[in-house]
Amino acid sequence: MRKNISTLKLHHNKHTAGCKAAAIAPPEEVLLPLTMHSGSPAEPIVAAGDYVRIGQLIAKAGSGMSSPVHATVSGTVTAIEPFTQADGKSVQIIRIKSDGKMEKDPNLAPPVFDDLDGFLAAMKDSGVVGLGGAAFPLWGKFDAVRRNKVDTVLINGAECEPYITSDHRIMLEEGELLKAGIELLHKYIGARFVICIEDNKQDAIDNLTQVFAGVDYVEIRPLPSIYPQGAKQVLLYNVTGKVVKGGQRMASLGVLITNVSSVTKMAEYMTTGMPLVERIVTVDGTAVREPKNVKAPIGTPISHIIEQAGGLKCEPAKVLIGGPMLGTAVSSLDQPIQKVANAVLAMDKREAVKLEPSVCIRCGRCMANCPVDLNLEGIAAAMEMENEDKKYTELKRLGVGQCIECACCSYVCPAHKPIMHTNNDARRFIKQYEAAHAEEGRK
Amino acid sequence: MSNLYVSATPHIHSGASTRNIMLDVIIALLPATAASVIIFGVKSLIVLAACIITAVAGEALFNLICRKKQTVGDLSAVVTGLLLALNLSTNVPAWQCVIGTLFAIVCVKCLFGGLGRNFANPAITGRVFMLVAFSAVAGGANPTIVDAVSSATPLEVLAKGESVDVLDLFLGLHGGAIGETCVLALIIGFVYLLVRKVITWHTPVVFIATVFVLYLVFTGDVMMALSQILAGGLFIGAIFMATDYVTSPITTAGRVIFAVGCGVITFVIRYFCAYPEGVSFSILIMNILTPFIETWTEKKPLGGVR
Repeated sequence: MRKNISTLKLHHNKHTAGCKAAAIAPPEEVLLPLTMHSGSPAEPIVAAGDYVRIGQLIAKAGSGMSSPVHATVSGTVTAIEPFTQADGKSVQIIRIKSDGKMEKDPNLAPPVFDDLDGFLAAMKDSGVVGLGGAAFPLWGKFDAVRRNKVDTVLINGAECEPYITSDHRIMLEEGELLKAGIELLHKYIGARFVICIEDNKQDAIDNLTQVFAGVDYVEIRPLPSIYPQGAKQVLLYNVTGKVVKGGQRMASLGVLITNVSSVTKMAEYMTTGMPLVERIVTVDGTAVREPKNVKAPIGTPISHIIEQAGGLKCEPAKVLIGGPMLGTAVSSLDQPIQKVANAVLAMDKREAVKLEPSVCIRCGRCMANCPVDLNLEGIAAAMEMENEDKKYTELKRLGVGQCIECACCSYVCPAHKPIMHTNNDARRFIKQYEAAHAEEGRK
Repeated sequence: MSNLYVSATPHIHSGASTRNIMLDVIIALLPATAASVIIFGVKSLIVLAACIITAVAGEALFNLICRKKQTVGDLSAVVTGLLLALNLSTNVPAWQCVIGTLFAIVCVKCLFGGLGRNFANPAITGRVFMLVAFSAVAGGANPTIVDAVSSATPLEVLAKGESVDVLDLFLGLHGGAIGETCVLALIIGFVYLLVRKVITWHTPVVFIATVFVLYLVFTGDVMMALSQILAGGLFIGAIFMATDYVTSPITTAGRVIFAVGCGVITFVIRYFCAYPEGVSFSILIMNILTPFIETWTEKKPLGGVR
């Protein structure tokens, strides 16, 4: 029997849906982390003092799962140094001081290939990663077709988080590029393609219906505008009725999900030779003077992006990279936007609520609103256990690994408990426990 | 710019809070509270005041003496005091109200760690404690707005095999605990709680329906079954006590099992035992079974492997 996935109706706040993505003045400096993707860090091939142009390779992909980094402005590399990211992690970054000319690398040319290997290699060179938030290298995702028969690719244009409209704009402005990208994927991978769009973006649905008219392997699928429609597990279930079991990979079900912007950016590289160097960023929030969409070079500091949106109208209480449900709060506006940054939100004092956690009153709202039906009360109780073996067994039994990190639980909790983070702690505990026991086994 | 506020996700919130939920419960109890004053006169105000003041003061003092964070602001003590008061009759002297409420707040709630940690509903347990300690808590008092002849509660009358006027039962114009008699007022509160999504319909409806069906099956008398659900503390118990978050199951399936259990125990006590009322005992017993019911009705996560 098909179950009804629990979802939330959030205020969409898609104020910028009608704002065409505007070019911005070049930033003075860009900060490019070598870890803008999941997997191993990229390896720098430039040194301080080198002159680089837009699109030039400055760090090649590391070993295994990795992605390269390209210069996003023209100018001089000033340093390759450690930097503390918004999430608190220390990472290596390449700093480039812009010369303001925004010159493109003259050597850029569309890649040439005629088989799947060549296509995937080109995809790797494009520097494109999962732009919806996962940051998984795109080539790595499609590499799975070598081992699995993939018959369906879901192109995720749900964009269910409030405020963000960057995928929406891509679907409106870059329909032809998206088409080119899907044509390439179809040529080398086969499969049918379903472009999934929430029905609060009717203009995008209309536009793509027109663009893909007569293409029989592409379906445009409008979906109810509910959160978290775009979460992989939720989207997979709502569109195909399939479920990824714990420990399973989605490709083994014959399905892949990729973000609509990722495919478009991939197509841009394939047709022009320009790798991923800029992206659409939604700038919004109650403290921003002129909410809009901008085309920002990757690595641009937040302060510059906010300035390009008319600056701040009041002192912000909280600034986010990403959406209000899943974005990261930054402690400084010097933080750069990375490849996955789809929004910069500056909230005023009223919007940025500070909540003190209190005791659980067992109202059950977290569980009633959990899209994957986790026993969140049980997980919280298990996390209090002192015996590590029992704790591990109980957490595994409760299936906390199925958490999709949508934060619906924390959103509805009247006791303001950080429920989703308890889940994250639980998953970290499981990882550490398993690693420790694997080591013991080796000894 | 160093004064930016950094916190974990999510950065927006539904606005729900424990205090607001408790406030909603208090609002939902206001019609019954008003009805109690109309039906039983100002004497009910004494009961209400004694219980509510004792509940709040008791919790505040306990927190103070034990050097715990002050929690009376969450309004749950007000709810406990108010609920207990509504379950007592005007015959109960104020000093008994104070002792009963202190037992409910301190022994049942605070000593177990306060809100969220108590395994039994404080108001119910307080009422049962008073029943044992002081005998009659619900009976004896007559409504002041009608000329009542008998001081017996409808359940006592029904137990003798006599009939009771159903409309009087629905409006609450008879003896009993001050808040339990006016079913109309309780239903208004129920609808409010449903609209505000504080509770779901499952527990109250299943609880009351179970009692009704069992009486119908065992007596074959519709009026008897109807009188039985309208009399006594069934509505206030089913709507306000059996739905207590802390002491009832968290899953929907669990709530249904809990409610059926409450209904069956209530019926057994009322029908087979010498004791005319069984709602408090049934809820208290099911409170104790709640952790087991939750284990039986745990949902399997989507894609979870067991």
